[in-house]
Amino acid sequence: MVNSNADALGIIFPNSYDTLVPELVGKRLMASIPFAGRYRMVDFILSSMVNSGIGNISIAVRQNYLSLMDHLGSGREWDLTRKNGGLNIVPPFAENGVKLYTGRVEAIANLLDYLRRQKEKYVVMSDSNIAVNFDFKALMDEHADNHADITMVYAEEEIPQGFLKPRIATDGMYYTLNVDADGRVRKIHINSKEPGVQKLAMNIYIMEREFLVKLFEIAFARGYSYFERDILAQHLDKMHVQAYEFCGYKARICDMQSYFRENMKLLDEKNLDGLFAGDPIYTKIRDDNPTRYINGSKASNIMAADGCVIEGEVENSILFRGVRIGKGAVVKNCVLMQDTVVEDGVKAEYVISDKNVKLTAGKEVRGAETFPVYIAKHQVV
Amino acid sequence: MAKEMIAMLLAGGQGSRLYALTKKLAKPAVPFGGKYRIIDFPLSNCINSGIDTVGILTQYQPLVLNEYIGNGQPWDLDRLHGGVHVLPPYQQASGSDWYKGTANAIYQNLSFIERYDPQYVIILSGDQICKQDYSDFLRFHKEKGAEFSVAVMEVPWEDASRFGLMVADEDDRITEFQEKPKNPKSNLASMGIYIFNWDILRKYLEEDKADPDSENDFGNNIIPNLLRDKRKMYAYHFDGYWKDVGTISSLWEANMEVLDPEHSGINLFDDDWKIYSRNSGMTGHRISAEAVVENSMITDGCRIKGHVKHSVLFAGVRVEEGAVVEDAVVMGGTVIQAGAVVKHCIVAEKAVIGEKAVVGGMPSEKEKGVATVGPGIHIGNNAKIGPCAMVEHDVKDGEEQW
Repeated sequence: MVNSNADALGIIFPNSYDTLVPELVGKRLMASIPFAGRYRMVDFILSSMVNSGIGNISIAVRQNYLSLMDHLGSGREWDLTRKNGGLNIVPPFAENGVKLYTGRVEAIANLLDYLRRQKEKYVVMSDSNIAVNFDFKALMDEHADNHADITMVYAEEEIPQGFLKPRIATDGMYYTLNVDADGRVRKIHINSKEPGVQKLAMNIYIMEREFLVKLFEIAFARGYSYFERDILAQHLDKMHVQAYEFCGYKARICDMQSYFRENMKLLDEKNLDGLFAGDPIYTKIRDDNPTRYINGSKASNIMAADGCVIEGEVENSILFRGVRIGKGAVVKNCVLMQDTVVEDGVKAEYVISDKNVKLTAGKEVRGAETFPVYIAKHQVV
Repeated sequence: MAKEMIAMLLAGGQGSRLYALTKKLAKPAVPFGGKYRIIDFPLSNCINSGIDTVGILTQYQPLVLNEYIGNGQPWDLDRLHGGVHVLPPYQQASGSDWYKGTANAIYQNLSFIERYDPQYVIILSGDQICKQDYSDFLRFHKEKGAEFSVAVMEVPWEDASRFGLMVADEDDRITEFQEKPKNPKSNLASMGIYIFNWDILRKYLEEDKADPDSENDFGNNIIPNLLRDKRKMYAYHFDGYWKDVGTISSLWEANMEVLDPEHSGINLFDDDWKIYSRNSGMTGHRISAEAVVENSMITDGCRIKGHVKHSVLFAGVRVEEGAVVEDAVVMGGTVIQAGAVVKHCIVAEKAVIGEKAVVGGMPSEKEKGVATVGPGIHIGNNAKIGPCAMVEHDVKDGEEQW
C-alpha cells in the first residue's frame, strides 16, 4: 500500500495498575484518569500509536470502562473511525468461565479469534499508566533489525515509591530487567526492591502477530495469567527478548503523590515540551471557549486549558477545562480537574479536586506537598 | 425525506475592507474571538436552531474555507441526509458562470434545494457575528403567514441612512424598502437574513434570472420585486448582539467586546448556545511566573511570559519576556518576541513580531487607527509600525512603516 501506515496493530490495557490509585479510579479506570489539563491518560499512548501509523487499535477493557467509552466514542478525535481497523473496544466476554481478567493472558485470550483474522505483521502492546509521546516506528525498526521474538521497552530510573508500598504481590506487578551487552534481556525481576537506578520496564512490547497468537494459545491452555511473570520471565532462554531503552520524557502514575507531582512537573516548560513538542496528542473535543481572565485576577506559573473563568488568584497550578475561580479566591499548588468551581474567597492549597467538585464560598482547604488533599468527583466542600 | 427548513449561507464575500486579513481567505474564514472563525457563528446558530442542512456558497478564495468546513463534523453537520455542503460555482452544460450576485448564487443552486424539498429556506450571511435562534424567526414567519420575512435590527436614527431599511406597519408587515436612503423613514435595518417560502423563492429567482437588467441581488432586485407584487412580507425584530465585522476597526471592536460579555451582549461563555469550531488540538496554555495577564482571553497552546492586558490571544500565541500586549487581537501561532510592544492592533496568524519592535499605539487625538499586521508577516527587531499601518509585506530590522 502506498502510504505511511505501519504494518502493526495495537493493543492497549486500560486497567493496568488501577489498584495503585484507588481514589482516582473509583468511578473510572487508569486510562481515563484526567491528566495535564485536558487529556486522559490513554490519549498519550493512543495518539502515539496513531502518529506512528498504527490504525487498528484494540482496547482490552476489564472493568469501570464507561468513562473510557464515553471519552473515546467512535475514535474520531484520534482519526480511528475507519472502515478497516480503527478503534476496537473489547469488553470481557463471559465464556468458558472466563471471569474478570486478572492478567494479560486472559485479556488476550479474549482477543485471539480477532487477532487470527487480522492482516498486520506486528502487534504492539502497552498499558496506559504512563503519559508518553512514544515513537512506535523506531521501536518497530529496532525490533526488525534485531530479529528478536519480542522487544520490550524500559527506562533507566529508580523504582518509584508508589510501587514499593506494601500490597498484594500480584496487584500491579512491576518488572526490572537484566540486560546483556547485546541488549538481550537475561533476567526479569518481579517487584524488586533494589535501590538505585534500575532498568524498569514500561510494559510496552512488540512481537509478530502470529508469534503472539501461538504464545498466548499455549499460555491460556496451560492456565497462565500473567504475561510477564508466567511467560516472559520463565522463557528468556528459549525466546529472544530484546530490550529497548526509552530516554524521552514520561510521566508514570503509580500513586496519588506521583499523580500530583507529574502534573506539577509540566509547569516546567522543558517537561511540557518533552511531552508535547513532538507529534500532537489528541483528545476528546469539548468546544470550550478560550479561558477568560477577568479584571482583578492574578495568574502566575500555571497551565490552564480552555473554558476557564478566572477572577481570583492562582499560582503554581494546573487547571483543567472549565474551571472557575471566584473573586478573592486564592489557589496555590493545586490540580483542579474539569469544571471544578472554586467560589469567592476560597483558600485552597495542595488540593487535587476531581471533576465537578465545588468549593463553596470562604472555605479553606489545605494539604501538604507530600500529601495533597484529594476531593472526589461531584463532592461539595 | 423533506426538510422543514434548510439554510443557504452566503460565504462568497471578499471582505475587501479587511485588506491584509482577507488577501488569502474569504471573509467568513477570518479568525474571531480567540478560537473561532466568523462562519462558526451562523453554522453554530443553524445546528443550535435545529437546522441540519446547510449549503455554503463560496466564490472568493475558498481554499481555507473549504478545508475548514471539511465534512462539517465540528458543527455536528456530518449527516447521512443533509449536513453541510460547500457549493462553489460550477460548469454547466450551458456554460459556466461566477455567481453574479447574492440572488444568482442561490439561483445556480436551486437543484441543491430541490433535493431536500423544504417548505422554507433561510438565507444567511457568512460575515456577521451574531448569536440568533433561527427557529424563533421561523415561528414568527409561520405565525404571520408570511411568504418572506427579513430579520431587522433597530439602529440609531442618525446611522439609519447607512443601512438597507424596512418600513413596516404596526403588524410588522413591510410596506417599503429603502436602500441607504438620505431621508430614512424607518430605523429598522435589514440584517441580510431572510426566510422564504420555498415556492416563492424559486419563482422570484427564476424571474430575476430572466431579467437581463437585474443585478441579481436580494436587496436591490428580489425584495423590490416582492414589494411590487404585494407579497406577504414581514419584519422580524432581533434585539441581540449583531455585528457586521466588515472593517478592521469593527473587527477589532467586536473582539474587544468579547472581553466584556456583561456589557457588550456577546457572550461566548453560554453553555446553552455553544459556538462550535474546528479545534486546534493544542495543550493548555502556560502562564509563567514572571507573566502578567489582565482582563484577557487566552486560548490553548499559548505561552505567556510577558504582560498581556485587555487582549484576545488565539491558539498557540507566544508572548516572550518583557513583551507588552495591550488592547490587541493576536491570531493563532503568532510569536511576539522579547521586549516587543504590541498595542491597539490586529496581528494575523503566524506572524512574528521581532524583539523590541513596536506595533500600533494607543489612540490619541491625532490618530485613532487600528494597526494591522497580515498573516505570516515578519516584523524585524526594533522595527516600528504606526497606529494606522496596514502591513502586507515583511518589515526589516529597525525599519518604520506608518
